[in-house]
Amino acid sequence: MSEPSALPYTDTKPVGAADFYTAINATFRFVFARFGREGLRRYWADLGSRYHAPVSQRWAKGGLPAVAQYWREFFAAEPGGEVEVHEQNNEVRLEVRRCPAIAHLRAQGREIVPYFCQHCYFVGEAMAQPAGLSLRVCGGGGSCSQVFRPAVSELAPQNLEDIATLS
Amino acid sequence: MIGCYDFCGHYEWTFAWLEQQGGHELVREYWAKAISEDSQRHAAAEIIPHGFEGMKRYWGHTLAEEAADHVMTAREDVYRIDMRQCPSKGFLLRNGLEQYRDYCDHCMGWIGPLMKKAGFVIDHEHNHCGQCWWEIRRADDPKAPSGPGELSGAQDVRLMPQWKSPRMDLYERSLDADDKTTLP
Repeated sequence: MSEPSALPYTDTKPVGAADFYTAINATFRFVFARFGREGLRRYWADLGSRYHAPVSQRWAKGGLPAVAQYWREFFAAEPGGEVEVHEQNNEVRLEVRRCPAIAHLRAQGREIVPYFCQHCYFVGEAMAQPAGLSLRVCGGGGSCSQVFRPAVSELAPQNLEDIATLS
Repeated sequence: MIGCYDFCGHYEWTFAWLEQQGGHELVREYWAKAISEDSQRHAAAEIIPHGFEGMKRYWGHTLAEEAADHVMTAREDVYRIDMRQCPSKGFLLRNGLEQYRDYCDHCMGWIGPLMKKAGFVIDHEHNHCGQCWWEIRRADDPKAPSGPGELSGAQDVRLMPQWKSPRMDLYERSLDADDKTTLP
């Protein structure tokens, strides 16, 4: 019998359609244009804490192994990414060698919103907090590191300058 | 990261978030600006200059990528899609996701403004269960939509046993998501 999926939602196709990355990019541009930087951060935080609430519940129950399994299955369902997921030393580390979204948007010649990579922090942190975890992101623009640790750890606040701004 | 595997889920959630922030007009503006003009600019690049040929290329690619169970019928005066199992609405139904009151409106919300620019009008009907049909004609062609089976034969979605649902939305020569008749 196969293991239950770590993803809360299932689809009939194994990998998502890459063209949807253009809609994600356009949505960020639209929300920023209407509501500014704080409004976009509110959108991301609401997306993380509300839409992704089922994921947070699984992480709260399953801890870091559930976090690692979620990201393994998540990136397996995203087209064109190269991502390693390591669970060690009381943390889960994502080494994003090739971000599937940035790769597709560049291949399509799209203008990527400059703050695109910040969504990984704001959405991910909002997903992590209800599970007693915290996220730090470093890099961006096609490759980055993302680390989930228990929120009780001595963690420096996220420095947004550690996340690449795209031009 | 938010991804494309569950895109339809957070896309639908976003409609409700935008409506909460700025009302129905903001959702309409999102479909027209963010989706029609920005995200789907590759559709405009095919359809505005190339008309029906561009429609065939655009939907041929995108519906194949989304693994949609559909039938396309192209004649020299009309382009028709019978969507027998919408992958997008199907994802929401299978996963019990419903934050916005009528997800299906988003298609007319972005395709309508594009077809207006391209010089076409749309006849369309959806049943909110993952089935719909579209007929796109030149704006100066007064022809009424086809009858069931007339254009796409046995593949016409209106001949499926599950076609009629308790809530049917009908668009007649329309280009606007709100320009519809809801049939009981």
